[in-house]
Amino acid sequence: MFKILKQVQEYAKESVQAAKYIGQGLSVTFDHMRRRPITVQYPYEKLIPSERYRGRIHYEFDKCISCEVCVRVCPINLPVVDWEFDKKAKKKKLKHYSIDFGVCIFCGNCVEYCPTNCLSMTEEYELASYDRHELNYDNVALGRLPYKVTQDPMVTPLRELAYLPKGVMDPHDLPADSKRAGKRPEEILEETSSE
Amino acid sequence: MNSGIDLQGSFIEALKELGLPSGVARAVWLPLPMLLMIIGATVGVLVVVWLERKISAAAQQRIGPEYAGPLGVLQPVADGIKLVFKEDVVTAKADRWLFTMGPVLVVVPVFLSYLIVPFGQNIVITDLNVGIFLWIALSSIAPIGLLMAGYASNNKYSLLGGLRAAAQSISYEIPLALSVLAIAMMSNSLSTVDIVQQQSGYGILGWNVWRQPVGFIIFWIAALAECERLPFDLPEAEEEIVAGYQTEYAGMKFALFYLGSYVNLVLSALVFAVLYLGGWEFIVPLDHVAEWLNMTGWVEVSTTTPWLQVITAALGITMTLLKAYFLVFLAILLRWTVPRVRIDQLLNLGWKFLLPVSLANLLITAALKLAFPVAFGG
Repeated sequence: MFKILKQVQEYAKESVQAAKYIGQGLSVTFDHMRRRPITVQYPYEKLIPSERYRGRIHYEFDKCISCEVCVRVCPINLPVVDWEFDKKAKKKKLKHYSIDFGVCIFCGNCVEYCPTNCLSMTEEYELASYDRHELNYDNVALGRLPYKVTQDPMVTPLRELAYLPKGVMDPHDLPADSKRAGKRPEEILEETSSE
Repeated sequence: MNSGIDLQGSFIEALKELGLPSGVARAVWLPLPMLLMIIGATVGVLVVVWLERKISAAAQQRIGPEYAGPLGVLQPVADGIKLVFKEDVVTAKADRWLFTMGPVLVVVPVFLSYLIVPFGQNIVITDLNVGIFLWIALSSIAPIGLLMAGYASNNKYSLLGGLRAAAQSISYEIPLALSVLAIAMMSNSLSTVDIVQQQSGYGILGWNVWRQPVGFIIFWIAALAECERLPFDLPEAEEEIVAGYQTEYAGMKFALFYLGSYVNLVLSALVFAVLYLGGWEFIVPLDHVAEWLNMTGWVEVSTTTPWLQVITAALGITMTLLKAYFLVFLAILLRWTVPRVRIDQLLNLGWKFLLPVSLANLLITAALKLAFPVAFGG
C-alpha cells in the first residue's frame, strides 16, 4: 500500500520537475527573442573575408618558371602545366596553365610551395556557374584580379566578429576608424623591435 | 442580462422594412456569416503563418521574411499564390480518387468547426446546444483524411506518416474530450456561448483557468498533439519520414494540407480561449464598468445603449483574438524549445499520463461540484 503511494509521489515529483525544465527552456527561447539578429543579408551585405582567407587562386603567368612544384604538392595533382623545352634558349617555355576549381579543395599547398610566388590566394569565393566546365580556369582567368567586397558600390561590407572593437557585437554602422580588439600585427612588431 | 448587439435581427428587420418578405430576408442573411467566417479563417491563417515565421526568426536571432510587403507581411500571400500556380502532380500508381479526397477531408471539418466559435453574445454563426461536442466530433474526421492521403499516395513514408497521424489523433482525442467534459459539467452545457457566460461576471478571476488548472494543461498538450505542432509533429517528422503523409503532395493539394494545419491551430487556440480564458470576456467585467459610469453620473448608459453595444462587441472580438493569438505565440515558442518526442514516448504520455490524470481531474471536478456548488456551477 505504502509502496504505491511512494511510487505516485515520485511520479508526481518527476512530472513537476519535467514541467520546471520545460519552463526554463521556454524562458531561454523567450530571452533570445529580444536579442539582435545576426543576419548578414547576403547579396546586399557581405562579410569582409579575413586576410588568411583561402579563396580562388590568383596566378601570374609571367612569373611562372614551369617547375611543376604546385603539381607535386597538390593532393590530387590538379594544376595543368603545359610547357615545351625551348632548345635555343635552353629554357622551359610555358604555353598554358590551368586549375579546375570544381575539383580544387583550396588547401593552399601550391601557394605555399611556389618558388617564385606566382600563385596566391584571393578572397574571392563566388565561383558559381551553370556549367562545371566553366570552373576550369585557364591562365587568363586565373590572372584576373579578385573583386573586392569593400569596393563594390552595391554591397555593404561588414566586418567579421573577430574584427569588431572590444565589446561590440553588431557590425552595422560602425565608425570608420574603429579598431578591432587586441593589437594589430604591425603594433606587435613595433613593440618587439623597440625592446 | 442583455444579449448585446444582434446583427442578424437588425439586418433582417432592415430588409423587411425595405419590403422583402421575411423568408427572403433570412435567405439573404444566411450566406453572409459563413462567407465572413471563411474569409476570417483564411486571413487568420495568413497572419499566423507570418507570425510563425517572424517569431521563429526572432527566437533564432534571424530577421525572417522582410522584402514581401512591409516587414514581410505579404510573404504568406506570395507562398499561397506560388502554390496555386504549381503543377498538380499525382503519382503514377496512386489511387487518384482517395488521393484527392484526402486533403479535402482534412480541411472541410476544420472550417466547419468555426461554426461554433463565439466572438460575442450574438457574434457566432450558430449557437448549437451541442457546440463543443460538434468540435470534438469534427476533429476526429481529420485523421481519416490523413490516413486516406497516406495510404493512397502509394509511398511507404506517406503510409507511415498517415498511420502515425491516426494513432496520435486517436490517443489524444480521449484526454481532450475528458478535459472538455469537466468544463461542460461545470457549465451545465455543451454550448460554447453558455460556457463563456458561466465564466463571466468576475472578470479575469472568473475564468476557468483558476478552477481547472489541470484540465488547462492537459487540454493544451492534447490540442498541440491534435494540431501536430512541434513536440508532437511525428506524422510529418522530416528527419525520419520525409514529410509524412504530405510527401507526394504538391501544388494546391499540398496548400490545402498546409492551410488545414494552420486553420486547425487557430481553431484550437480559439476553442482554448473560449473554454479556459473566458472567451470574449474582458479582464474586468464590463457590466460593472457601465454601472460605475452611471453611478458617477458622467454619462447615461444602460446595457441597451447602441454605442456601448458596439464597443462591447468590438472589445469581445478583440479579446477573443488576443487570447487566441497569445496561445498561438506560446505554441510557436514551444516549437523552438521542446524536442520532438518518440512514438513510444508519445503513446506513453497519452495513455499512461494524460488519460488517468484527466480522469482524476474529471472525478475531482464532479466531487467539487457536489461539495461547493457556488464556485463550481451547481
